[in-house]
Amino acid sequence: MGWTIGHPWWGLTGALAIVLTQQWVKLHQLDHWLRNRNRRAPPDAGGLWGDVVSQVSRLHRRKQFHKQRLLSLFRELRRSSATMPDGVVVLNTQHEILWFNRKAGELLGLRRKTDHGIALASLLRLPQFGRYLEKGDFSSALRLQPRIGDAVWIEFQGMPYGEGQLVLLVRDVTRQAQLETMRKDFVANASHELRSPLTVIAGYLETLSLDDGVPADLRPPILEMRRQSERMTAIIADLLELSRLEASDEQVIGSPIDITALLTLIAKDLAANNGTRHGVEVRIESGDGLMADDGLVHSAFWNLAENAAKYTPAGGTITLRWWTDEDGGHLSVIDTGPGISAEHLPRLTERFYRVDPGRARDTGGSGLGLAIVRHVLQRHGGELAITSEEGRGSIFTCHFPPSRVARQSFALNGDSRYADGVGA
Amino acid sequence: MDTADLSPHISRRFNEDLDRVRNQVLAMGGFVEQQLAKSVTALVEGDSSLGEAVAHDDFHVNNMEVSIDEECSRILATRAPAASDLRLIVAIIKAITDLERMGDECEKIGYIASRLAAQERPVDKYREVKHLGRVVQDLVHDALDAFARMDAEAALRVARRDRLVDEEYEAIQRQSITFMMEDPRSIRRVLDVMWVVRALERIGDHAKNICEYVIYMVHGKDIRHIRIEDVERALKDGNGP
Repeated sequence: MGWTIGHPWWGLTGALAIVLTQQWVKLHQLDHWLRNRNRRAPPDAGGLWGDVVSQVSRLHRRKQFHKQRLLSLFRELRRSSATMPDGVVVLNTQHEILWFNRKAGELLGLRRKTDHGIALASLLRLPQFGRYLEKGDFSSALRLQPRIGDAVWIEFQGMPYGEGQLVLLVRDVTRQAQLETMRKDFVANASHELRSPLTVIAGYLETLSLDDGVPADLRPPILEMRRQSERMTAIIADLLELSRLEASDEQVIGSPIDITALLTLIAKDLAANNGTRHGVEVRIESGDGLMADDGLVHSAFWNLAENAAKYTPAGGTITLRWWTDEDGGHLSVIDTGPGISAEHLPRLTERFYRVDPGRARDTGGSGLGLAIVRHVLQRHGGELAITSEEGRGSIFTCHFPPSRVARQSFALNGDSRYADGVGA
Repeated sequence: MDTADLSPHISRRFNEDLDRVRNQVLAMGGFVEQQLAKSVTALVEGDSSLGEAVAHDDFHVNNMEVSIDEECSRILATRAPAASDLRLIVAIIKAITDLERMGDECEKIGYIASRLAAQERPVDKYREVKHLGRVVQDLVHDALDAFARMDAEAALRVARRDRLVDEEYEAIQRQSITFMMEDPRSIRRVLDVMWVVRALERIGDHAKNICEYVIYMVHGKDIRHIRIEDVERALKDGNGP
């Protein structure tokens, strides 16, 4: 066209301008569509532009399809997790909340909108819970009352995954906790109720056994009945003591106790009970005292010493040893008895557990002594360790943490405190 | 946080520092909450050893205050925080003082509880104190929740509830006067109980203070010594009170 009017360059420029404008319009349409591709149909453009549009829309459809699939999968997961009877909380490495299901929200008072990214321990501020997360030992579950005084009990079980992330299972265990309380209350009440009639029976049996008017052939059964009623009284006393110990998990504060005096007293009582059947040796290797409740500690140590005396044959030796080091205070009761085989050791502190059912009953123990010892130690932050070698003897050691050791407070004033048998 | 556009490495460490110290404050709060619950339980159930344990454990609260305080000073000195970060640190320094005072009040309640446990309990079994204790516990709990969530609206709602505590306190006071007039032998015990009630009321006030710090932290407004209604209006208008 430019040739005809003698200006070819103008013609070429005009044609190029038209083509460019067309391309620009198409590009603009494409851009507009890409921005709003979910709402608009693809623009109708032929040629190369048409190919581009159809490629893009195919990619888009495929992506849309995958997205929908993932989204519906995610919705299904979320909906199914909502019906789970237990709560689930997912925490990141900082123990901040990544996700939780509906039940966990209900149990812990978490809010879906605001609580993502907040450290769980700052909303669930119970000190035990903080320690549980901090410690990172999720081999056992943690059971606690979110609000003291409420009847609600919740159990947490952490399950680590990945690199320090954590899935926390949250269960409402109020029902189990109630049953447990009922059981404890039942034992305490039953023991209490049994005590009064037993006192009457034991009283009459004592009178009868001293009465000269009783025919000689009735004497042995009466004496046996009296012995058995004494045993029952001892069992009931121990059951009551156990339920008192179990009533609280609170650590006992106590006051400094002079261990030298306490052990000397126990050794004296042991000799008085058993005559000179065995030698009793007291080895005090530290002048430090023990921060503890003296009644409880006396009952624990006495139980261990009495046990040792029961199982050690005549002529054996019982050693009471007290020492302190950087790990805390330790008290060992060492006997030269028959020893206990290894398979019994883990179960020894269970209630009424008998190593040798036939023999143990003759000795008149309640079967609760070691359970009491274990509970007393628990209330003082300590633990009981038992080592034994068959044929050689056993060592029962009470370990107390360093915070329980009252440093050097009794180096000088000796055993004045227990000299008169106070607390026996 | 506002400082996210600083060099990423430094700002991340800084954010971690802030998060850690905030979590420490809430852990301290959790411990105080537990102390409060235990001290009220000790009184209501006449459990002297629990009361003693509460009085004994107060030193933990003091230790936590000291260590958080040091941490805050360190952050102020080394990071020189600005804007909302600075407000967070200031709010934390104030909040731990209130928490520490709450701890002291709990210690007082625990001590009185262990002493009262030896005496005969009144006929109503401290029902009123138990109720007040409950209200105050909820107040402290919700105040700390608002702190954890940085939720100024919730903080405002909690601060408004402090009035309930004051009303309850008045009611118990009136009732105690009747008790003392009816039976002069009970005066000693009732006076002790008044100390407990007073301590609970103070704890409520400290919880309210914490709510005020939350609002300060979020909106940058100081709302102390201002009536709640004015605060609400001011926050709605977006102007300073």
